[in-house]
Amino acid sequence: MYQNKSSIFLILILGLIIHKYYCKEQTYVHNQAKPARFHVAEFNFDHVSDVYAITLWILLGSLAKVGFHLSHRLTEKFPESCLLIILGLIVGALLYITHLAEQKAYVLNSDTFFLFLLPPIILEAGYFMPNRPFFDNLGTILLLAIVNTLFNTLCIGLTLWGFSFTPLYGGTVFDMLPCFVFAALISAVDPVAVLATFTEIHVNDMLYIVVFGESLLNDAVSVVLYRMFDSFAKIGQENLIPTDIILGCLSFFVVALGGVLIGIIFGVVACFTTKFTEHTPVLEPLIILVYAYLAYLTSEMVSVSGILAITFCGMVMKQYVSFNISKKSDATTEYVLKMLSSIMETIIFMFMGLSTVSDHHSWNTGFVLMTLLCCLVYRVIGIAIFANLANCWRLLELTRIDMLIMSYGGLRGAIAFALALILDETKIPRKKEFVTATIAVVFFTVFVQGITIGPLVKCLNVRRKQIEEPTMSAKLTNRMMDHVMTCLEEISGSGGSNSLRDKCRNLDRNYFKRWLLRETPQEKMDIKLLQTFKKINMQSAMKVHDTSKGLVPAPSSSAIHTSASGTNLRPESTFANFSQILAANLPEQTVPDLMFFENHHGAEQYRDDAQMHHFLDTNLYRARPRATIHLRSQDESAGTDGVAHNRFEKSYHHRNHIYIPSRLDKEQIHGRKAGKTSGGTGRSTASKAGSSNITHSHTHSHSPKHHTSSVSKQQNEKLRSASPVSDQKQQQQQQQLSKTRSKSPSLSSDQPIRPSSPTTEMYRPSPPISIRIDNDDDNEILDGTTAAERICPWRRSSIPDAARSTSTSPVNDPSNTTQTASNTNDPNLHPGPLTSANYSGTYHKSPEYLGEYATTTKPEEHLSRPNIRDLFNNQSRIPDEKQENDMETNSDESTTQL
Amino acid sequence: MGSNASIMLQQEDLQNICQQTGFTAKQVQRLYSRFKTLDKRDCGFLTREDLLCIPEVNINPLGERLIDVIMDDYGENNKINFKQFIFLLAKFRRGRVKSSTTEFNTRDSKLRFLFDMYDRNHDMKIDREELLQVLKMMVGGNIHDDQIATIADHTIGELDSDGDKSITFEEFCKTLERIDADDKMSMKFLS
Repeated sequence: MYQNKSSIFLILILGLIIHKYYCKEQTYVHNQAKPARFHVAEFNFDHVSDVYAITLWILLGSLAKVGFHLSHRLTEKFPESCLLIILGLIVGALLYITHLAEQKAYVLNSDTFFLFLLPPIILEAGYFMPNRPFFDNLGTILLLAIVNTLFNTLCIGLTLWGFSFTPLYGGTVFDMLPCFVFAALISAVDPVAVLATFTEIHVNDMLYIVVFGESLLNDAVSVVLYRMFDSFAKIGQENLIPTDIILGCLSFFVVALGGVLIGIIFGVVACFTTKFTEHTPVLEPLIILVYAYLAYLTSEMVSVSGILAITFCGMVMKQYVSFNISKKSDATTEYVLKMLSSIMETIIFMFMGLSTVSDHHSWNTGFVLMTLLCCLVYRVIGIAIFANLANCWRLLELTRIDMLIMSYGGLRGAIAFALALILDETKIPRKKEFVTATIAVVFFTVFVQGITIGPLVKCLNVRRKQIEEPTMSAKLTNRMMDHVMTCLEEISGSGGSNSLRDKCRNLDRNYFKRWLLRETPQEKMDIKLLQTFKKINMQSAMKVHDTSKGLVPAPSSSAIHTSASGTNLRPESTFANFSQILAANLPEQTVPDLMFFENHHGAEQYRDDAQMHHFLDTNLYRARPRATIHLRSQDESAGTDGVAHNRFEKSYHHRNHIYIPSRLDKEQIHGRKAGKTSGGTGRSTASKAGSSNITHSHTHSHSPKHHTSSVSKQQNEKLRSASPVSDQKQQQQQQQLSKTRSKSPSLSSDQPIRPSSPTTEMYRPSPPISIRIDNDDDNEILDGTTAAERICPWRRSSIPDAARSTSTSPVNDPSNTTQTASNTNDPNLHPGPLTSANYSGTYHKSPEYLGEYATTTKPEEHLSRPNIRDLFNNQSRIPDEKQENDMETNSDESTTQL
Repeated sequence: MGSNASIMLQQEDLQNICQQTGFTAKQVQRLYSRFKTLDKRDCGFLTREDLLCIPEVNINPLGERLIDVIMDDYGENNKINFKQFIFLLAKFRRGRVKSSTTEFNTRDSKLRFLFDMYDRNHDMKIDREELLQVLKMMVGGNIHDDQIATIADHTIGELDSDGDKSITFEEFCKTLERIDADDKMSMKFLS
């Protein structure tokens, strides 16, 4: 921590020294007036000075933030904003001492603040605005933002002006209009300060949104009031006519509604633009940012509320853009926004500290104290009045404690300060006093209130925000509550917020989504629910990926190889492919599916999704307890088999079911193996050849598959445009197709079997695979069966499981019997890649993907088959090594799952 | 439960209702007039069709299910009279203070109502089939059955703590502790 701080200073001082040195150097060179000669190296600071200063600022800000967070004790006690202000003060003092403050490049001014520093913060706030609570509390927020701010301004202005007739200010005279200008800028709650403070104390959503929403929306009021009084002061008190005042009031609506309108227009245009960025996804984040910034600049240009504009622009964009842009762009946008706003916030607080150190101060104790007192008192009074007023129509009433936190959270910040700095000293002679008072109020609120609000919240036991992972059940129930309450409100005839929201949602779905989204969502489809499900899956995927040390297949198949080799996998070559990696992680009988994956190596994104999805579904969601039971029974059965099993083989039991389907096959394979092991060197070369074969097959299969899938995608698109009836027909056809195909190869295994009995070991094997192993030289004959295998390879594995499970529920769908049966009985087991394929990417494309798997039989695919044998060889070759590995991963798995 | 709601509400009836449900007299009067509006045939009870006539209910994905619950659990013979109607709505009255909560609008009873939305065979368990049905209604669109099944399995997996592949009321409540079901399942009755 201290090291960091000192390093910051070091950099700063270095910068200063360099600059000083430079200035001298330059003057020196000029004085000498040497004959012009060519210089080997040139030093030209002026050329870069402005940008250099900005970059240094950013660097300093980031380093400061990094430094502060190295020490937990410091950040626990003090909010970041305080620390940054202190740092700013120190830097400001340094600059002041070195007289560099006079050089404009180092000191940020109000223009910089409003044009560069503020917009990213507000955009981020708007983009990540929790829509639901915001609109639920919109009435309260508006009341507080408009009426309360107005009330505060008038009261503070009047009080301050009134006290100028008393000797409190020590004889300094404050006119009425300057007092009102000051009141206008000081009475507005600052969004930056509120954000900085409230994100650290984690109060509940409602409280947060009420305070934060107020601070955002009161910008319109404070801008109007500030400008109105400012221009009044310029016009002069005696020249004012009533028309001015009326126009001033009118301008409020223009400023507020104009800002909102500009924001919404730019947001909509941005969404509309992203409709067509399919081929240039790289630009998507930029488009979003640029439109938002443009909204801000435009509204500043026509002097309406820029803050409102950019807030609403962000809110509108967030609603639709994320459906249009790619996942990467979405993540990038969010991250860039967070990054920008974080650094800007840092700089703003530093800038406040820095600008404090200057000559433009005039301390007037009476005035400062009076201002402070007014701000606090009127804040409390205003909140008490208007919160109680709001309670008249609020469903969820604001309690006393809520009100206390609301009034205590009324922090003033950099906006007030920047506004005070740009006051015109010729028109408002007491500018220095105002600036000083503003700084005093800002420092008081940020330091005293900012530091104490955390303990206060704890002390008063304010309902905290619950941070938890989204769960499907919660989402579902929330949705259900919404629907139920909407209906009930309609039935009872008391149209409340729920039915209003429902109407908005319908409007949104019927019109806006249709215009602004690339793909119109289906009629009556609840995308949010599906999105939640997807998100949960993603998170689980990440978790599995993290906990299993990257052994799990990465989202893209090309990444699998890199991740496998990149991570701590010792024998990379042994984990040459997917199923090996997975098999090492999975104690359960998922290998058939993995075989399936193998075949589809290097396929398109949705397939990878499918892989991931299926992998998760088989591996997550409490699969663990069952898995262990299953493991034991398998082991027992294996033990009775009479075949010598060591631990290695036990842990790989699920492979045995595939590669050693029956005793006969086992013997055959053992024979093969024995034959291979007889020649030590020959074996290894063979395996090497095999592995090279794999890679070959991969490369071979890459491009054609892409081709076919893209073709089928086009087909899909065509189909999607077709009528839903034909869709369903096709779906049914495909189901039946897949069913018949899947049934043909594995007839014996389709019967429910108890796996624990040793006899079933004979049945369990799937003939097709064993055949394949024997005849992998002429696979083309068996292409039909292999294709079927590819369609529903999970069936074999799922059915014994289904039989084992005790509870059997009725099966509705006669056309889909086997599949639903396996579903009903085993939630741990996902129905298979078939469905997971449907999940991928967009949900509504679903049925067509079935066709893809069913119809495309690729001749190259069988090339990848030999790797089974190769795999087996590898296994037998280095069992000890792999066993270790396996044990590692297994234990890892169990700890994370249990 | 007399179905003589067609005549004006009696004074003692009114008081009785107010006392039991915690509604104010004005609210009851208002609900009564709403009831009369819905009851187009003027026969003193509402039928399924009466409720389905409300367009918002009609298009709501869970509208029919809700009416099922209302009719089966709160009314009788596919009818619901005013008293039953008002006792139903009393569940969702927002208690201003702690003291004004009646036996109807406790958090538990609200959760129970939600639970009943799933549990249509009243075995105090949400099993897979029931969840599937509700999911199908809510997700909508032509999504493949398997996908919905996956979601259902996942949801059950989340809630099911004893591993019986169904959700009991206790399990249901426990996972919903974090949601302010009490707040969300309340509405403001105009007075």
